[in-house]
Amino acid sequence: MTLTAERVDTVVHALRRVLRDDQILTSKTDRYNRARVPAPFPVHRWAERLPDLAVLPESTEDVAAVVRIANELLVPVVPRDGGTGLTDGAVPLRGGIVVDVKRMNAIHEIDPVNRTCTVGTGISMLKLNEQLAKHGLIYPDDPASYPCSLVGGRIGTSGWSLIGARYGHTRDLVLSFDHVLPTGEVMHVGDGVGQKITKSSSGYQLKHLFMGHQGTLGIATRATLKLFPKPEAELSPFWAFDNYDDAYACVGDLARAGVATFAGAVLFDEHKVAYLRRDDEAYIPQPSDVRALVCAVMYGYEDEVRPAGKRLLRIAQSHGARYLGDEISEGDWAARHDRYATPLHGRTGNGQVVPMSWHCEDAAINYTHLPAVTREWHDIVAGLRRQSDVFDDWGMFAYTSSDNGTDWLTEIDVGIWEQQLDDRAWALWVQAKRDLAAVSLKYHGSISACHGSCREGEVDLVPDELGRGFQVMLDLKRALDPRNIMNPGKYHLDRAYS
Amino acid sequence: MSLTDGGAEPEVTVRDERTQEFVAEWRNASYNCYSSGHKFCREVCPVMQVTRNESWTPTAFHANVVAMERGELDVADIAADYVNCTQCGACELRCPNTLFTGDFYRFRTRTVDVVKAVRALAVEKDIHQPKWQSWNERTDERTHEPVLGDIDISQERVRDWAADLNIPIGGESILFVDCEAAYYRTSVPRAVAQILQAAGYEFGLMAEQWCCGGPAAEMGYVDQARRFAEHNLADWRSVGAKRVLVLDPHDYISFTEDYPKYFGADFDIEVVLVVELIADLIRDGVLTPTVPIERTITYHDPCRLNKRKGIWKEPREILRAIPGLTFRDVDRVTQWSYCSGGGGGLPIEKPELTAAISAGRIAKAADLAVDTLVSACPWSERPLSEAGAAQNIDVIDIHELLAESLGITVGGSRS
Amino acid sequence: MSYRYDEQHTPPEPTRVTDVAITTFEDLYEVDPRLMQEWVTQQEFPNWDSLRIMNSRHDHLEWMHEHFAHKVIHGSELLPADPDPNPSGEVSL
Ligand SMILES: Cc1cc2nc3c(=O)[nH]c(=O)nc-3n(C[C@H](O)[C@H](O)[C@H](O)COP(=O)(O)OP(=O)(O)OC[C@H]3O[C@@H](n4cnc5c(N)ncnc54)[C@H](O)[C@@H]3O)c2cc1C
Repeated sequence: MTLTAERVDTVVHALRRVLRDDQILTSKTDRYNRARVPAPFPVHRWAERLPDLAVLPESTEDVAAVVRIANELLVPVVPRDGGTGLTDGAVPLRGGIVVDVKRMNAIHEIDPVNRTCTVGTGISMLKLNEQLAKHGLIYPDDPASYPCSLVGGRIGTSGWSLIGARYGHTRDLVLSFDHVLPTGEVMHVGDGVGQKITKSSSGYQLKHLFMGHQGTLGIATRATLKLFPKPEAELSPFWAFDNYDDAYACVGDLARAGVATFAGAVLFDEHKVAYLRRDDEAYIPQPSDVRALVCAVMYGYEDEVRPAGKRLLRIAQSHGARYLGDEISEGDWAARHDRYATPLHGRTGNGQVVPMSWHCEDAAINYTHLPAVTREWHDIVAGLRRQSDVFDDWGMFAYTSSDNGTDWLTEIDVGIWEQQLDDRAWALWVQAKRDLAAVSLKYHGSISACHGSCREGEVDLVPDELGRGFQVMLDLKRALDPRNIMNPGKYHLDRAYS
Repeated sequence: MSLTDGGAEPEVTVRDERTQEFVAEWRNASYNCYSSGHKFCREVCPVMQVTRNESWTPTAFHANVVAMERGELDVADIAADYVNCTQCGACELRCPNTLFTGDFYRFRTRTVDVVKAVRALAVEKDIHQPKWQSWNERTDERTHEPVLGDIDISQERVRDWAADLNIPIGGESILFVDCEAAYYRTSVPRAVAQILQAAGYEFGLMAEQWCCGGPAAEMGYVDQARRFAEHNLADWRSVGAKRVLVLDPHDYISFTEDYPKYFGADFDIEVVLVVELIADLIRDGVLTPTVPIERTITYHDPCRLNKRKGIWKEPREILRAIPGLTFRDVDRVTQWSYCSGGGGGLPIEKPELTAAISAGRIAKAADLAVDTLVSACPWSERPLSEAGAAQNIDVIDIHELLAESLGITVGGSRS
Repeated sequence: MSYRYDEQHTPPEPTRVTDVAITTFEDLYEVDPRLMQEWVTQQEFPNWDSLRIMNSRHDHLEWMHEHFAHKVIHGSELLPADPDPNPSGEVSL
């Protein structure tokens, strides 16, 4: 909280002119529950992250009116959608107004002929797809937070999709959107004229700029999305290996095969397999020589998927893979849309169960550097674990980002026992995040393939990653948000004003 | 350094002893949610669907307890938010901490229990929601919920619905009829009683039935709930009951979850859900519905059966046995996000939310172009009927429908 | 399926699967309870609840398949010729 009670009154008073009372929330619980996203979040510093109030707009006009008032009164604005972001984008650092867009969840149009739909950005992909299924269509933005992240947050983070190798990621799937600029002006942004256009060469390519900015450049309110036929068939073989190297070689060949229905492949390392053995009925009974896993996923018509599947199964065979059977393959894949880390998988040094929050550090890494990054990241987390039971290594994944195997979403899952977290452990963690990011940069990767990189620690390396580009970011921020009201404090963008 | 050997617990700044006790009991359950923060529960929550207010989500209900543990929030700050829950159980089932690992760890998400506990703590600290307070006072006076508003509920009238049905008092099997069905939708117990009679299944009524106590427990009036439970158990014992037949899913929860908590292993009464019993009787050929019912229906999975107990097959078996019906079914998993809004005391404090939730449920039925929505929960039938009237969708209880197909003239009232 | 207190509170005899896991009901794995003694203790878990969760999980996974595609193709149907099938149901390539 940063405003005095008097200032809050002034703001509320101004907001009452444009919103109903039930759209303006000022109670303690309203604020506490809009101060956080998934863990880890330093729970011992929760109170420092509170907004002064929250609003629930119902239209672009509502959002624009709120932002105009905030800009005029110099009050910070923090856009919030599903609140599932993993880089604290929706966490207020300077109090102010949280603009929670979840009420804007209408489906405005389904255009089956041009294969688009237009929705409010507060809608969930799962709920949208329940409706699209009636038309035989699907919007295939499929993060592991599929049932809970919302379209506005997907835009705000420029998200990554499990099946992006087949259908593209959020940036490819969102064609255009209405966007409220930090001054309260409304703009429609997309390729060129930016309606239902998938490719234009007219003017600057502004769409990318207004995606993945973590709410620092404004608020998307209504988006036009690209649709596909709901796939006729799905195939998701899982294979076991007795060593990482073979699994690594195999997953690379699968991704490079150029199979058109290929939607993604995943490599699970030895730590991840050990982690799965903590609870997973599929992996507990696996023989102890299972030390790495690979899966591949295909979507399309049955008469495309079957031959494609045969090809990938042959490739796997040539690497000595052992097919894990239909039940595990199908069950595990179905659980990937919405299962990540379970708190009770946390273990103390002596093996006792403790509830830990899940932290997922992600990066974009080229295929050739995956083994080195995997090794160095585990070393960093092992160092943490040696110093404190607060941290637990939950293993690593590498997922295809593209359809040709160039770069991989590489993530290490770390459990953090927040009930025991204190300033010392937090400082260790923040330093570890810097170290993890430094490894990514050392191997010419990017600090984040999907979540963004504005959390404490990793954010310090963003200027190094972007080089001269970071200065351009500062120039753009200043030009678009002259009074620094839009999600201030993120991405070191304050430097634009000093 | 390892925090498990010798490291101190972080300082707890909770104000009073009772609150400290409360957070000690619920800290791990709450932290288990807080530390995930995934919010897979959000879109299945009926209140969230109509309010889209994150302060009233299962996630918030757990996070608040974590904030209480830290001394940052107090029950007075949070009590009013906890009205916004129907205790349908969707969130706790959908939560990966239940769905994927609850059985593995024998530790699952317990939003319903957390909500009940916070409500109870509030009552204990004399923080009341005015309409709940008055509802429970009146229930206490009348030994039944005041389902008809201010009039006409009394102990003398609890068996009026059965006046002409010749049901004895007592016996091994006792039919328990919830307050809503006993006084308001009397067609439901009449249908059930006559179906059981048609099957030759012997049963009786209680000497003095009181409200099951479940609603009081749901709203935080725990002492009253317990008193009512003690009365009912004593009554069952006094009439020689070994088994209670339950037609209302809410009662089924009380008897299989609350009563065992109160009485532990002493709770030696068998609890039988009538829908399951009837499905058995049909399967065994004891009952055969023959009168065709020309309706196009869909089935509303009552939350307390489908989500909280995993009971969804038997009602469908019954419906498939009824000739003439066109049945447009919606699967049980999709229905995890359906609700009538009629539970957890919500219609008492926030009837507008109940109405909105029911309207949403009816809209989904309307999409299927049905003329009838069949439920198996009397508490859902009033709000659903009200919403259904606007869309020309008739809301009927599964027992009423079956009775009709068995050629029984049910009688009683549906409104 | 009726409810009786004593039945519900008597799970099947556990069988050890690994040093950290056991099974009770068929296909139902549980953590070795010795791992939950210090920081988090297990909740009271009647049998119906364990079974409800396991069954719901399978229902949910089936639902997710249907949500994303009209049908699931089984990898086992596409396996390259296999000289040495593994009797456990898993298939060696
Ligand atoms: C279990 C789990 C699995 C996950 N898996 C993935 C994954 O596979 N791929 C992936 O990409 N991410 C994943 N994430 C991270 C997260 O779900 C994504 O970052 C998602 O895009 C965030 O969406 P949200 O609606 O929750 O946004 P929020 O967390 O509310 O916001 C995210 C950012 O966007 C900004 N923002 C919110 N709304 C708007 C708007 N309308 N206009 C402009 N900016 C806005 C916010 O200020 C914030 O900076 C996962 C998270 C969880 C919890």
